[in-house]
Amino acid sequence: MVRPWILLLLLLLAISPPSHSSTVHNNNWAVLVCTSRFWFNYRHMANTLSLYRTVKRLGIPDERIILMLADDMACNARNSYPAQVFNNENHMLNLYGDNVEVDYRGYEVTVENFLRVLTGRHETAVPRSKRLLSDEGSHILVYMTGHGGDEFLKFQDNEELQSHDLADAVKQMKEKHRFKELLIMVDTCQAATLFSQLQSPGVLAIGSSKKGENSYSHHLDSDIGVSVVDRFTYYTLAFFEKLNMYSNASLSSLFNSYDSHLLMSTASYREDLYRRPLSEVPVTNFFGSVMKTFHTDFAYTGFSMEPEAHISLVSETDSRRTLGSENAQTEAANHNAKDNCPFHAWLKVLEDKLDNENAEKLVLYGLGSMVLLLAISTLLSV
Amino acid sequence: MPAEKDEAKEPRARPRLIIFMASFLVSHSTLFSVVCCIAGLIALLLLPILAKSTYISENALMPGSANPVFSGQDVSEASRLVKDITETQKMGKTTGIEIQRLIIQRMADVGAEVYYHKFQSQSNQFHPFRFFSCDSNSAVTESNSNTSNGLNTVGIIRAPRGDGKEAIVLVTPYNSEYVKLNDALSLGLGFSIFSHLSRVSWLAKDILWLAADSRYGEYSSVSAWLKDYHNPVFFSSENVDANVTHDKDFLNMENKNMLNGRNVDVFKRAGTMAAAMVFKVGEAMERDPRDILTIYAEASNGQMPNLDLINVVHYLAVHRQGFRVNIGKLASLVNSAWLNLVGQILEWLGNLAKNLNPKWNFGISSADYAEGAATVASSMYHQALGVPTGSHGAFRDYQVDAITFSFSSRFYLNNENMQSSFILRGGRLIEGVIRSVNNLLEKFHQSFFLYMMTAPNKFVSVGVYMIGFALLALPLPVVAASLFLNHKATGFTGTEEAKIAFGSWQWLYAAKTVLMIDLWALIASLMPYFISQIPNISPTESTLLWVALSVSILAVLYVILGSPYSHSAQIGALLIVPMCLVVRPLKKHMQGALILRALSLVCNLVMVVIGFPPAALLLMKGFSEGFEGVGIGAVWEVAEFLWVWNSATYLYVFLVHLPCWVLCIHILLHP
Repeated sequence: MVRPWILLLLLLLAISPPSHSSTVHNNNWAVLVCTSRFWFNYRHMANTLSLYRTVKRLGIPDERIILMLADDMACNARNSYPAQVFNNENHMLNLYGDNVEVDYRGYEVTVENFLRVLTGRHETAVPRSKRLLSDEGSHILVYMTGHGGDEFLKFQDNEELQSHDLADAVKQMKEKHRFKELLIMVDTCQAATLFSQLQSPGVLAIGSSKKGENSYSHHLDSDIGVSVVDRFTYYTLAFFEKLNMYSNASLSSLFNSYDSHLLMSTASYREDLYRRPLSEVPVTNFFGSVMKTFHTDFAYTGFSMEPEAHISLVSETDSRRTLGSENAQTEAANHNAKDNCPFHAWLKVLEDKLDNENAEKLVLYGLGSMVLLLAISTLLSV
Repeated sequence: MPAEKDEAKEPRARPRLIIFMASFLVSHSTLFSVVCCIAGLIALLLLPILAKSTYISENALMPGSANPVFSGQDVSEASRLVKDITETQKMGKTTGIEIQRLIIQRMADVGAEVYYHKFQSQSNQFHPFRFFSCDSNSAVTESNSNTSNGLNTVGIIRAPRGDGKEAIVLVTPYNSEYVKLNDALSLGLGFSIFSHLSRVSWLAKDILWLAADSRYGEYSSVSAWLKDYHNPVFFSSENVDANVTHDKDFLNMENKNMLNGRNVDVFKRAGTMAAAMVFKVGEAMERDPRDILTIYAEASNGQMPNLDLINVVHYLAVHRQGFRVNIGKLASLVNSAWLNLVGQILEWLGNLAKNLNPKWNFGISSADYAEGAATVASSMYHQALGVPTGSHGAFRDYQVDAITFSFSSRFYLNNENMQSSFILRGGRLIEGVIRSVNNLLEKFHQSFFLYMMTAPNKFVSVGVYMIGFALLALPLPVVAASLFLNHKATGFTGTEEAKIAFGSWQWLYAAKTVLMIDLWALIASLMPYFISQIPNISPTESTLLWVALSVSILAVLYVILGSPYSHSAQIGALLIVPMCLVVRPLKKHMQGALILRALSLVCNLVMVVIGFPPAALLLMKGFSEGFEGVGIGAVWEVAEFLWVWNSATYLYVFLVHLPCWVLCIHILLHP
């Protein structure tokens, strides 16, 4: 009874018209990658964790954040604050609190895994929590930090992600309708070179430094004995700390907030692939999960959000008729009911009937017969 | 020569460029060798100018990025131990190991694993067949005739969250017979750092502190401990104990060897040694505005610790703790007139170049030059001599990077306040170095291993100093080739067959001579072992005996194998690369002007005298210390010194230099 029902619905979905490119933004994802390991790169993990905290605070839920970390700092024997990671020497904020979900840890942070996450070409055994399950309505933030150079980014001193690898992956994502808009944010030396090969529409990219420039750390924590945050990330965070989920700060205000004197490098962004003017796009478009809401007349309408999905409704009633031949009651209900659910229709029929007859009489008879039944049953049991 | 060749090969194509160049060089070998030698000498003199500033090349080290937290409390810890040691010293000795017991008690109190390490210090026996090997297990079973016992105390702090695979070693040598104030201070310093490190939370490597009983020499105690550390003995430990303890009642036996319910005779280990630091407090130096830290780095046979280790110590000492860093230099050279003259010339040249083009900025002042030259000379001397400059040398034998540094205060250390501020800064320096090394993820490998220092923060890397040596060595093969060709041209102008005969077989005679002389040299180099077995013999007698035996063996070999063929020795000398280029047979080389002949003769004689190693040694000693005290016995002493320390210089002198010299004599006296 159930199976044909599902089959028919699947058929309907297949029939429904392909949506056009201007799908509505309906979810947010973040891929945060720290590409270095070893104790002296503490700051890169702190960078990534800070950004993780920020996007979570601004509303992207944990299951939509893919966090890739070498994760060898918090429990490093050299860490004088065991199981804690700080991004500031005032130690006010422990980034490695109770609620950090690292999806790719240690030696799992590889170029291959990163590209697999982006393109979604995983082995079947990879759990859903480690996949980027975005769709054509997704806005994705990709944040990367580590050591890089001209058109490459080192992954754990072992391999490199090159700019054309990244561009190819993004192109593939576009082909597979895996994003609507994509923001790539890179904090490494010569970061701007990493996104020079991009060519897919809808991609926005910002890097901490131009070609030939180094990116520097912001300050040293003399208790821990390492630099704890990079300049670009530090000032990004400083910008976001003033905001909450409901702020309307635009991307251009973020991009203009970088002062090349404070950064000691020139933050440079690339917007030629992005259509909307930056001053009209709120930062929460990428860094949070704030979406446009559509008011619909119905509380719950099966499979389509759009009211114009009319054809499907009609055909649904058709299908119900074929179903109804098996069941006389629902068929009777279907004749005058506009409701989709057969149970509701049946109740309605009952209600109609009750309205027509004298309801009080019915109740009285009912009670009387119940008393009679009770008396007989007690007699029998004695 | 090339002209002759060209005539011969006229119908053929021109010879290839490289062959042409080679023949050109060979034909002008005299000029070429003179130019090369002068260039080589100049390159060596320029070393102080070519030196680069040191830099820390390993990212992980991050020296000085963490603030040291070694505090006044730790200093009072040190002063307490110093006081206790001096009091124990005053009480006089009953068992001979009060100091050790005091140290081990303190170490156990801070929660460290502790043990005594008993060792036998045997005077290092020369054994010709065991030259570079470290004799590990045989040492225990050797005769006890000339051994004496020492007792090291060792403490281990396990890194609270470390994996226990690596360790950093601290060594404080002290004389346990009589602990002087500076020894007590270095023990205090060592202990205060040790107790401080037992409380820190950032250790990733275990800390080993070795209080080395150096009454029989710093080196022997450390090397004995290292030998035991790297050669675990699994079943004969009781045997060793019995050996040691029954000799004297050295440790008052069983019940005393337990501490807090634990056996302190069991040898314990931590992981691989990442680095080792030997530190001691030296005597108060001459008045200087700052306290002085002297770094010793040369290990045996010219091995050096990784330059990064020196850099870290130098950086922290100068930029964090305000020490002045010294490294060894030949003090006599600093004020030598001719070095200053060279310095002034270079300074003048530098200024000239600067005037021509402001970008050419390579001039240094003549004082800096003299200083740098003296330092580089000392570096070169110590590396060539092959004798380690301190107990860090023992670590290098196990491929552990180690240095010695000694603190010397600008004030006399009796002053309490001065003492505590001095210990505070010393402690912070060592803490900083340890924290930096603790950050390492791999063995030291980034920076240089082959270098010479010209100042504490300047170095000459192997790529630079080899240029000078290469220039000096380059003439040898060229001159060899030219001699060979000359010989062919002049000696056998006869028939073609004779030439072929010579080319194919007659070199055998030369080779025989060379082999014979090498054999002799080998025998001569092994002789000291047998001579040293003769009891009650003075150095002078030994030397004379040695010389007499060597000469007689040489004579015997000459008679048996000798009858050197005419001319052949000339080529033989070329086969083994002679030490000097000017040697010509006295009788043969007699054409040309009288002055040239005389010059050649004088040169030859001077070279022969200087080239003979004992003569050179005596001359050097004579110039540096005056000729009165120099006797032939000094030769024996130096040779003994070299072989006791397993110096490769000994091998070089006897297996390369001496045969060359003999061959030169051979050529000189050639009929």
